Amino acid sequence: MLTGYIDGLGLVFQFGTLLAIAGGTFLGIIMGVLPGLTSAMAIALLLPVTFGMPPVMGIGMLLGTLCGAGASGSIPAILLNIPGTPSSVATTFDGFPMAQKGEAGRALGLAIVASFFGGVASMVVLSLLAPPIAEFALRFGAAEYFSLSIFGLVIIASVAGKSLLKGLIAGLIGFFCSTIGTDPIAGVDRFTFGQLSLLTGINLLPALIGLFAVSQVLKDAFEYDPSSKLQSSAHKVDIARPRFIETLRNWRALLVGIVSGSVVGPVPGAGGSIASLVAYDQARRFSKTPEKFGKGHGAGIVSVESANNALLGGALIPTLALGIPGEAATAVLLGGLMIQGVTPGPMLFESQGGIIYGIFLAYLVANFFMLIIMCLGIKLFVRVLLVPRKQLISAIIVFCFIGVYGVDGDVFNLYIMLAFGLLGYFLNRYGFGTAPVILGLILGPIAESNLRRGLQTFGGDWTPFFTRPISVTFLIIALGLLALTLWQNYRTRQQDSASGAT
Amino acid sequence: MAKDIGKPIFDLFLVVASAIGFYMATTLPAVSMAGGLTPATFPKLISGLIFVCAVPCLIRDYYEWLAARRMRGEKTAPNATPSKQGILQWLTIVALIIVYINFFERLGYIVSTAIFCFLNVVCLVMTSGEFQKLSNRRKLRNLAAYTVFAFALSLVIYYVFTELFNIPLPD
Repeated sequence: MLTGYIDGLGLVFQFGTLLAIAGGTFLGIIMGVLPGLTSAMAIALLLPVTFGMPPVMGIGMLLGTLCGAGASGSIPAILLNIPGTPSSVATTFDGFPMAQKGEAGRALGLAIVASFFGGVASMVVLSLLAPPIAEFALRFGAAEYFSLSIFGLVIIASVAGKSLLKGLIAGLIGFFCSTIGTDPIAGVDRFTFGQLSLLTGINLLPALIGLFAVSQVLKDAFEYDPSSKLQSSAHKVDIARPRFIETLRNWRALLVGIVSGSVVGPVPGAGGSIASLVAYDQARRFSKTPEKFGKGHGAGIVSVESANNALLGGALIPTLALGIPGEAATAVLLGGLMIQGVTPGPMLFESQGGIIYGIFLAYLVANFFMLIIMCLGIKLFVRVLLVPRKQLISAIIVFCFIGVYGVDGDVFNLYIMLAFGLLGYFLNRYGFGTAPVILGLILGPIAESNLRRGLQTFGGDWTPFFTRPISVTFLIIALGLLALTLWQNYRTRQQDSASGAT
Repeated sequence: MAKDIGKPIFDLFLVVASAIGFYMATTLPAVSMAGGLTPATFPKLISGLIFVCAVPCLIRDYYEWLAARRMRGEKTAPNATPSKQGILQWLTIVALIIVYINFFERLGYIVSTAIFCFLNVVCLVMTSGEFQKLSNRRKLRNLAAYTVFAFALSLVIYYVFTELFNIPLPD
């Protein structure tokens, strides 16, 4: 492990890599400030920039984006009461009241430092937990990989869509799309319609950009209303001074945030909004002054923001160790890793140790850049909110085109991007969610090839899939979570109908 | 409650698309492999599952839509159906993207992108009614600003990506 870190240090501490991480963090912060632009979309848009970069530099840039977007959602949440990202919803509870009291700079300073501590702590958790999990996963055979992919799909389907059934449908659509192209075992063309570009299957990048960026642009175009202008902040923010002492004084809230984020993070599909709400609730319970929460209390901001960034490292654990992303942003990041030629999963730690430890360190460095850039550029980021939507829509589409065309100069991929954009738009609009589709696209080939390879190995016998201990454990957990989600949905419906009747 | 008729229509689309997918999978060559699974098995299984999951969604969303319609009488709520302006804006941008794709290589990156950006902004301000509210002088000034924006954006991006990141773009 130590050798890995030494190799990683050499890869990260190069001028170009540090610049790329800083650039990614800066752009991530800008994206996070703009309500509606998610960190998944930010990563998808930045992917083309990373094509020509070495893996650690490229992934470092994307991690910087993830880190920046995760932290900067607090800026509009505090200044305008508009959460920049879903995970910043809870930041508005205390951030905006504090800003209204004329302490916007203090609120931002607390949010920035808490995000920093959360991010650094999550990097420690990531680097401690990911290697043993990956080592354990080395025991996986075809049956285990098949069950793992089913497990990953079921979990994300159960939380991503508004209903379990719809989430499953979205995941299955991804699975079906992954069958397009030449069959991995028999070499038969499937659903290619004579189109050469489809022989190798659907490229991940056009699908990613379509599902996460184009679909959002289509939504923005649909909802475009010139009369609803984004307000500029009435609060005076000269410079957000980092509040290290005050953040540490709220150590209880900080610890609660870090623990909540680290625990919720690795749970596939749980997401930042859950982690931050759990952290806020727990911080209030543990507080000696719970009555102050919701009225501009520093501990509220600290708990939420530390949880938001602590979650990111946790979410990277299953992504890097097992190749199973937990939510949308890490799913896009996984796509980025694959485009970079880095195949996440247990073998990653064996074969590309330097790269993986370089990625851990890059994430740590990204947190430092986030702290510095957020403190220095706060006034600029507030102004980003004033960029007119109509120009932003055009610019995003142009970036999408460069990203997709830049891969191999194939115009057909632009049509694929548009098709996935349209699909993503309707899936989001009608409550299916887009994250399961991308996960289906990634996991589909793993599931199919391992199922067929497994059956070949076992001579057509299905029972090893249900009798091998690790394989059956994944299937049982997946089934258990399915049952739990169905039960929760049933309870929610019962409560809804009961409240509707009264 | 589902108030948007688009919901059951989209479910119906999924039902039909999965049925077509299943049918197309049955036409794939049945290359027999050890273990018994052919290249058609997985797509058939997946499209079949989509069909099985989409049918209850269709029934539920349709009845929820009907119930919501009945509750509000013949007229649905103002937010029940998408606004005409929204649909127009949406269709315009989809059409522009298709045109942009078609002319991306033919006109080259700079020209096609500048035209797309200009038309996109103009179409949005026209369809949203933003433009009609302006005085003639302001209209001209804004048009000039949109033109500058379109060309500046395409030029800057072209040079950044081709020179800095070595990403080839059509000339």
